[in-house]
Amino acid sequence: MSPSTDSDDDGNVSPPPSESPVISVASPDQPMKLPTRWNDECRHQSLNLSENGRELSYQGPNSNGDGAAAAARSIQSIPPACGVYYYEVEIHSKAQTANISVGFAGPDVKLSRLPGWEPLSWGYHGDDGSSFAAEQNGTPYGPTFGLGDVVGAGIDWATNRAFFTKNGTFLGSVFHNVGKGVDVYPSVGLQHVGESVKVNFGHEPFKYDIDYHVQQQRQQTWTTLMSQKLDPRLFRADDDGTEEEIAPLMSEVSEEQSKQTVNKLVLSYLAHHGYVKTARAFQKQTRDAVEERTSVDDDIEMDDVPGPSTSSSSSFPTSKLEADIELRTRIVNSVLCGDIDSALSETRKHYSGTLEAEEGLMLVKLRCRKFVELVLETAELEKKMKAAKAKEEASAPEMDGIEEDGMGMDVDDEMISASPIANGSNGVSLLSSDYEAALNAALTYGKTLDQDFKATKSPEAKNIFIQTFAILTSSDPLSAGGAIAEVAGHDARVKLANELNQAILRSQGRPTHPALEMMYRQTAVCLLQLGLARVGAAAFANMQKEFIDA
Amino acid sequence: MSLSALHIYNEEWDRRLHEVQVSKGDLNRLIMDYLVIEGYKSAAEEFAQEAGVVPPVDFESIESRMKVREALQRGDVEDAIVRVNELNPQILDTNHALFFHLQQQKLIEYIRQGRVLEALQFAQEELAQLGEHSPEFLSELERTMSLLAFEHSTSTPSAIADLLSPAQRMKTAGEVNAAILESLDQGKEVKLVQLVKLLSWGQGTLKEHAEFPKVRDIGFS
Repeated sequence: MSPSTDSDDDGNVSPPPSESPVISVASPDQPMKLPTRWNDECRHQSLNLSENGRELSYQGPNSNGDGAAAAARSIQSIPPACGVYYYEVEIHSKAQTANISVGFAGPDVKLSRLPGWEPLSWGYHGDDGSSFAAEQNGTPYGPTFGLGDVVGAGIDWATNRAFFTKNGTFLGSVFHNVGKGVDVYPSVGLQHVGESVKVNFGHEPFKYDIDYHVQQQRQQTWTTLMSQKLDPRLFRADDDGTEEEIAPLMSEVSEEQSKQTVNKLVLSYLAHHGYVKTARAFQKQTRDAVEERTSVDDDIEMDDVPGPSTSSSSSFPTSKLEADIELRTRIVNSVLCGDIDSALSETRKHYSGTLEAEEGLMLVKLRCRKFVELVLETAELEKKMKAAKAKEEASAPEMDGIEEDGMGMDVDDEMISASPIANGSNGVSLLSSDYEAALNAALTYGKTLDQDFKATKSPEAKNIFIQTFAILTSSDPLSAGGAIAEVAGHDARVKLANELNQAILRSQGRPTHPALEMMYRQTAVCLLQLGLARVGAAAFANMQKEFIDA
Repeated sequence: MSLSALHIYNEEWDRRLHEVQVSKGDLNRLIMDYLVIEGYKSAAEEFAQEAGVVPPVDFESIESRMKVREALQRGDVEDAIVRVNELNPQILDTNHALFFHLQQQKLIEYIRQGRVLEALQFAQEELAQLGEHSPEFLSELERTMSLLAFEHSTSTPSAIADLLSPAQRMKTAGEVNAAILESLDQGKEVKLVQLVKLLSWGQGTLKEHAEFPKVRDIGFS
């Protein structure tokens, strides 16, 4: 791949961020520096290098048939993590067939030889059109090249094969194991006076449609990766950690097996995040599907008779998970509808340790919420009481209505006369005693809360207290807006319910991240590491593109 | 080739895991993709609500796709064909292999039900001419017809007996599902499955280059 054509529009180049310390640990070299010019230090003395480092011309005596030549290499080696590497040279020669080799070479290859003659060098020769990989006579490959031709040389790192182009035409893949385990550099070799090459390391557009090539490679590589056999170890528990040396116990992963595993991943993800309704619906549907499938061998007509659920649970063992979800759902729902007492007692009973973790932070949060719920209840009753009072007073307009100024003004007189006064006053007194009781309960609870946690040192807990008690400054916290509504509103319940869910999972020693998420992360790190380990195919497995953006 | 046995220890590995950029929203969309493609309609509906993920298709299209699948799974190929044509008549017109496999499935169902005469008639009238166009279809047809020879026999070779298995129905159903998804311009490969495959390949390949903490047993964590 060229430096200029791909850096912006192609996703397959995945240069690890240069500032990341991760890279320096695994690879001391900067992995994505691309060749930009011929190396003044790595050229045969018979070669003259232009000022800009791109043009090489042969100066020395003509070498005929004695195996002498003059070669040069680029300043940087090619990073395999680029996926595809490609460069082009323009040939200047007196003849239609130039004694020039275009190709690649390792760092220690003799500069007095054409690329392709020596071990660890690969070349396409203009005089006979043959390809050379550590061979003297070459293998018929493509057309000859010379004056005015543009010759391209590339490496597909996913396959470690090279390819060449002439004047924009692809000549086919050639060689194997190019650059495997060794740094390689673009390299050219010349033999005749008057011959020269001008390189395009991506300085200008290429003759060959390299973008299309890259796309093809990506597609092919992805298809190959996707058709690999699945590692059975991903699908079963190993008895011990020494799995490396053990021959695979199970050679094939069946479709059914992988499907069930993915179902489990999905279900545990849903359970982890407490998407309870989804999890229920999903479980029901997967179970139905299993039943339907297993019922095929039975009489066909049987399929609207519901199968015994025991038969399915054996193939889909989720009963424990189900019970856990149900319990956590109940707790989460308790929080969501403001029944903090139930949430507290169930959590205490079934998930010991949850409330005590982190200096009892969860307990603080829940009890504070309980206080908020009491205050909200009080506010609600107060509202009702006021409304009833207003109604009552409005229905007796001759009575002193000053304290409820304005309230009675809009009320239609006929409506009022129809409303039973006795009932109303009875309601008001009932309501006001309810209100008083609620207010007392709230205040008492607030006091206990204050006492219980007076000694707390945790700044987070203290902060929660301050925010909680702030709601007392408003008579109607829910419509107060701002920070008060944030503490009082339903969103706060949702957030708390989520936190409690996570805390429960943590207390159970369950992973704080769902298996699916860990799988994603593991895959991403493996790919990054593979890029550093010179596995070119990893460059084409772009997770962002395949899984996130698409 | 210097294969320095690179060893990446837990702490280092964990740090890298932590640095991977992926959000809950990203993963939620992977889940939605799975629910939609695999046809878990009610779960997808609940998930849209609970997780606030916008589904990539309307739920009705999931439903009709699943009706096709259900029809195939209970052996009602005729119903499945009608439903596919209702969705998009082009699907079966353009995809000859799919059409053949559906007809083959129909033949299998006739044989399963012991309707030998109808099976023979159907094979000769409908399937034979499809087989003329493709040697592959023809050999499939022959394989299917040999089910008649082994009728009620316990010695049926497994390659032939497999045709009567639930897996065969699932295979046909999967093929139809993919074709419908494709006609809707929707991805037909489940991304979650691709992720599992990529992990499998990535871990397996990296093992040749380095020592590192591996993930095992993904369904049970």
